[in-house]
Amino acid sequence: MLIIQELCPTKTQEKIKSGALLVDVRERNEVAELAYDVPAIVNIPLTEFEERFRELPTDRELVIVCRSGGRSLRAAGFLLNNGYTDVINMKHGMIRWAQKGFPTIGDVSTVLDTAPAHQCCGGHGHHHEEKKEEVKKSDSTCC
Amino acid sequence: MKTIKILGSGCAKCKTLYQNTLEAVKQTGIEAEVIKIEDFQEMMKYNVLTTPVLMIDEKSVIKGRVADVAEIKTLLIQ
Repeated sequence: MLIIQELCPTKTQEKIKSGALLVDVRERNEVAELAYDVPAIVNIPLTEFEERFRELPTDRELVIVCRSGGRSLRAAGFLLNNGYTDVINMKHGMIRWAQKGFPTIGDVSTVLDTAPAHQCCGGHGHHHEEKKEEVKKSDSTCC
Repeated sequence: MKTIKILGSGCAKCKTLYQNTLEAVKQTGIEAEVIKIEDFQEMMKYNVLTTPVLMIDEKSVIKGRVADVAEIKTLLIQ
């Protein structure tokens, strides 16, 4: 069984301070709209990930991020399956990051709105509702 | 008999691909078992990045997009 370490955005701040590299797997248009404002970050869109993941260092802690934590979870699993060992998934993604007021570049309304344009795999509909529900449920347990 | 797997997180695209696959199997009349895989751990056994994925006899033939019935029929009779 694949075990993936996960952290919320608040705990991720500590990882950033200790030198972790953020890996944003959102597509380019999403990053252009709203980006994580951190000292060390690379963008490898999930659609390019299979071809480009070897660009990532193997000797540095990697925190994988996306919009809601779904795509980054798959990317984290993919890296672990490909020999990377120091990999963490950031739960709840940019949505929670922006809600918590952590540094961003761009328009946060694109994720704080109730009708987001992008989902974990580009879908719409009930899955989005499930994600919102998930975020709500975990409000009391996650920072 | 073919084994067809649809891997996806349960989003609208994944459901559409599943329905299109069922329809394609019906229209071609081939004998096939269609399995929907939504469990993350199970998906990661196939190292899935972009969903949905359509697998025919353990080979990924569609990745990260919905295929229409006609395209799936073509893949099934190959």
